[in-house]
Amino acid sequence: MANALAQHKPIDEALPWKTRMRFGRLLIYGPLCVMAALYLMPLWVMVVTSLKPLDEIYGGSFIGLPQTITLDAWRAAWSEACIGTECTGLKPYFANSLLMVIPAVVLSTGIGAINGYILTKWRFPGANLVFGLLLFGCFLPYQAILIPMARTLGLLGLAGSIPGLVFVHVAYGICFTTLFFRNFFVSLPDELTKAAMVDGAGFFRIFWSVILPTSIPIVVVSCIWQFTQIWNDFLFGVSFTSGGNSPMTVALNNIVNVTTGRKQYNVDMAAAMIAAIPTLLVYIVAGRYFVRGLTAGAVKG
Amino acid sequence: MNAAKSFSSRLAGWLPRIVVAPSLLVVIVTVYLFILWTGVISFTSSKFVPVYDFVGLEQFVRLWATPRWHTAVANLFIFSALFLFLSTGIGLLMAILLDQNIRAEGFLRAVYLYPMALSFIVTGTAWKWIMNPGLGIQKVVNELGWTGFTFDWITDPNMAIYTVVIAGVWQSSGFAMAIFLAGLRGIDNSVIKAAQIEGAGLPLIYRQIIIPMLRPAMLSVIVLLSYIAIKSFDLVLALTNAGPGSATELPSTFMFSATFRRNQMGVGAASAVMMLMTVAAIIVPYLYSELRERNNG
Amino acid sequence: MSKFLASLVAATMLVPASARAEGTIEVLHHWVSQSEVNALNVIRKDLETKGFQWKDSAVGGMSGANAQQALRSRLTSGDPPGAMQFLGWEGPQWAEQGVVRDLNDLAKAGGWREALPPQLLTFVTSGDAFIAAPINMHRQNWVWANKKIFDEAGIAVPKTWADLIAAGKRLKEKGITPVAMGDEPWQIGIIFDALLSDLYGPEFYKKVAIDLDPAALNSPEMVKLFDTLREVRGLVDDNFVGRDWAVATGLVINGEAAMQFMGDWAKGEFLAKGLKPNADFYCFATPAKVPTFQYVIDSFGMFTVKDETVQNAQVALAETIMDPAVQKGFNLIKGSIPARTDVSVDDFDDCAKLGFNERAEAIKAGSMLGAMTHGFAAKPEFASVFGDVAAQFFVGNMASQDAVKMLVEGIDNAR
Repeated sequence: MANALAQHKPIDEALPWKTRMRFGRLLIYGPLCVMAALYLMPLWVMVVTSLKPLDEIYGGSFIGLPQTITLDAWRAAWSEACIGTECTGLKPYFANSLLMVIPAVVLSTGIGAINGYILTKWRFPGANLVFGLLLFGCFLPYQAILIPMARTLGLLGLAGSIPGLVFVHVAYGICFTTLFFRNFFVSLPDELTKAAMVDGAGFFRIFWSVILPTSIPIVVVSCIWQFTQIWNDFLFGVSFTSGGNSPMTVALNNIVNVTTGRKQYNVDMAAAMIAAIPTLLVYIVAGRYFVRGLTAGAVKG
Repeated sequence: MNAAKSFSSRLAGWLPRIVVAPSLLVVIVTVYLFILWTGVISFTSSKFVPVYDFVGLEQFVRLWATPRWHTAVANLFIFSALFLFLSTGIGLLMAILLDQNIRAEGFLRAVYLYPMALSFIVTGTAWKWIMNPGLGIQKVVNELGWTGFTFDWITDPNMAIYTVVIAGVWQSSGFAMAIFLAGLRGIDNSVIKAAQIEGAGLPLIYRQIIIPMLRPAMLSVIVLLSYIAIKSFDLVLALTNAGPGSATELPSTFMFSATFRRNQMGVGAASAVMMLMTVAAIIVPYLYSELRERNNG
Repeated sequence: MSKFLASLVAATMLVPASARAEGTIEVLHHWVSQSEVNALNVIRKDLETKGFQWKDSAVGGMSGANAQQALRSRLTSGDPPGAMQFLGWEGPQWAEQGVVRDLNDLAKAGGWREALPPQLLTFVTSGDAFIAAPINMHRQNWVWANKKIFDEAGIAVPKTWADLIAAGKRLKEKGITPVAMGDEPWQIGIIFDALLSDLYGPEFYKKVAIDLDPAALNSPEMVKLFDTLREVRGLVDDNFVGRDWAVATGLVINGEAAMQFMGDWAKGEFLAKGLKPNADFYCFATPAKVPTFQYVIDSFGMFTVKDETVQNAQVALAETIMDPAVQKGFNLIKGSIPARTDVSVDDFDDCAKLGFNERAEAIKAGSMLGAMTHGFAAKPEFASVFGDVAAQFFVGNMASQDAVKMLVEGIDNAR
């Protein structure tokens, strides 16, 4: 790559500074395509396996195209697979996950936004210490807090319930969302808030009318990050809920951990794909906003 | 800061503190109080359930006399170093390539980012299958004709940790790429143009100008990837279940199995304390330097 | 938005609570496979005829470890399930914490003590009181063999481990994989446990696995045991890492391998393919002078709860589990034998009958032993050391002497 790009043309003011050499392009597209193939391979395996009937999986190669395409595995995973003695598939647990994730994302993003606002625009003595304390929480290994958290949830009367799970995710999401928003707001000029104050706006007014409208990119980043983390969480789900209240990761775990009989790889993969669809959608649809949001300020240290 | 103080009444001065207080309270309880509890337990003889006596450093002695813990610590260093280095390197490379006005940029970006969307259970299950010598890549390549090809790292106690690295890098380098791409997009063109007018070649421009300007992005990437490395618990359990034997044990899986499966809650707590101390040793100086600068700036 | 959300949340929480008048009991367990679930449904249906509702909380994976973790959180938060499937020492351990319900009145009325093997009582009683109802008894030390391969090679059911290994070597020369297995520590543990009781008798097993006697642990017999384990390793193909146990059973069924060391849950795999014991496959105990019966039981314990309807449901569940008819129906599907010794197994297949008879003999001969790998001998902190050492030895190149050293140090570290 070094050699090819070294043959640069003289600068043309109308062209972007990134040069356009044919040979150079090949050396750019080449690695990108190889990487893309490597990245897509597991997804390919998962999709292809979920569409095959079980005999074909055991008889053939794991990477080949299906000879007969069947959606039976998907149907089984969604509504027929047995999670213990309840044979309801993933459907009810999917609903549980949604019920848990949406409030958790909204709450943790909102709290992070307000915290970021306060820590940058209303600096009080010790604000940086508060930020440091909040931030350190991000690095806590979750296995260590399962027992005390179970105790706390019991004391709060939230044990085994979806609101309890929401509480846990919000508590441990605050550190990240505060980080995102704080880093973003740090680069917002103070003049904005000062001008609003001169106009007579109070604490909340400034937040609602001035700060929030400019922070859409970072709101998107925070929501995407939180949605992914919370949707995919298994540890908290299995520890703090059970039975009909569990999120979909717990049900998925039950499906893929069947130990007797022929392992139903196709149902396993279909179930894994169903579990992954919401987050995949979020990344594919909103991925562009993710990068934009990161550009807008989360990246500056 | 002076503007805020001189401007508001007493209530408004306290309002920010009141609003941030609940978050702080929740974090103090759910993070620091729980850490304290874990610390307390590490000095007790707890086995099956918490017992509140005092046995000094006995659990720590037990911990360091356990060979599996040594494996776990060694694995953590190997895994973290490789994971960070490869994810950052690959992420940076892909970001630089993607930044070259590529036609299918949106599609490619989605392809690199989507692994982050998957839960570790999903990833671990898929990769376990792919890397299984009898079912996955080795079988496919052998059937294609290269019968001498072997890829059985996942079954080799000495190489298994590298399979965890592969799966982890696959999952997270897209995220590093996104951050670097954002950083690259934020670089001012005029500096580049000035350098090119002076006759500098592109590789030189990248090496001397662009990459140093990505330092803030690099710090974010390293912090976030370290977070992911520390959390790599689900991935190991789904991919290798800390095996073969205990070859891919990590401190997080060690702590979990000690507390919940082996009736050794005290040892588990001691291992958690060690993990926290390591994390603190790295993060606290970083935080201190970052936040001290901000105060001056 | 908040009102809507609140009503949504309330609606979700109402759904499982749509109970019948008599009472609902939540049962936490780790059975998620089809056959296990079918067996569980026998209990469930019987409970429902009594007018009680069964609320299922299945947490699979890690051979029950995930369920144990979920239980621990539930208990710590003060919200225990009505009943839990206990493994190994869990029942007595939780009973010591005072959270398990005393079932002694039921036990006396139902004559449980007389109907169960005495060795079992350690795991379902705390002190003198019953705290769990056992539904079944699995046996861990079975060998499952492909009859055609054995007959063609002229191999009879081996009477000693030396015979078995020699037969295995002959098969290897013929190009047949002698032993099919996976590399999970518990699969290796099954072989280790068998060697421990078969090579030097039940007394040695008790000294090592239950008493943790330092002299027995550090003895030349242990070194020879690891030597034998190394020889068994030589009978296993190199593709065994990552292999699921049921896939290994499949290899024996297909004729790609000759034998598997596995508990009687493997029987279901044979029966599901329509194969008949002694006609298509052999089932025999691991070879020993004194045949041992290494047992694994599933029992259900009831936690202390305040709700009276749940308490009634708990009583009903315990009675259901100990009902001879239910024990028969459950075990016919699950592949184990009833925990009760007074339930006839005439309807069961030949392997089950063999196990039933050998159990009666083992009780008399004192070779009825709890399976250590499944938590029915040493407590978890010690059993896991055995598991670690055996697994590391098996998949690597450790010398027997070093393995014994590692074992002794590990056990001392855990005391």
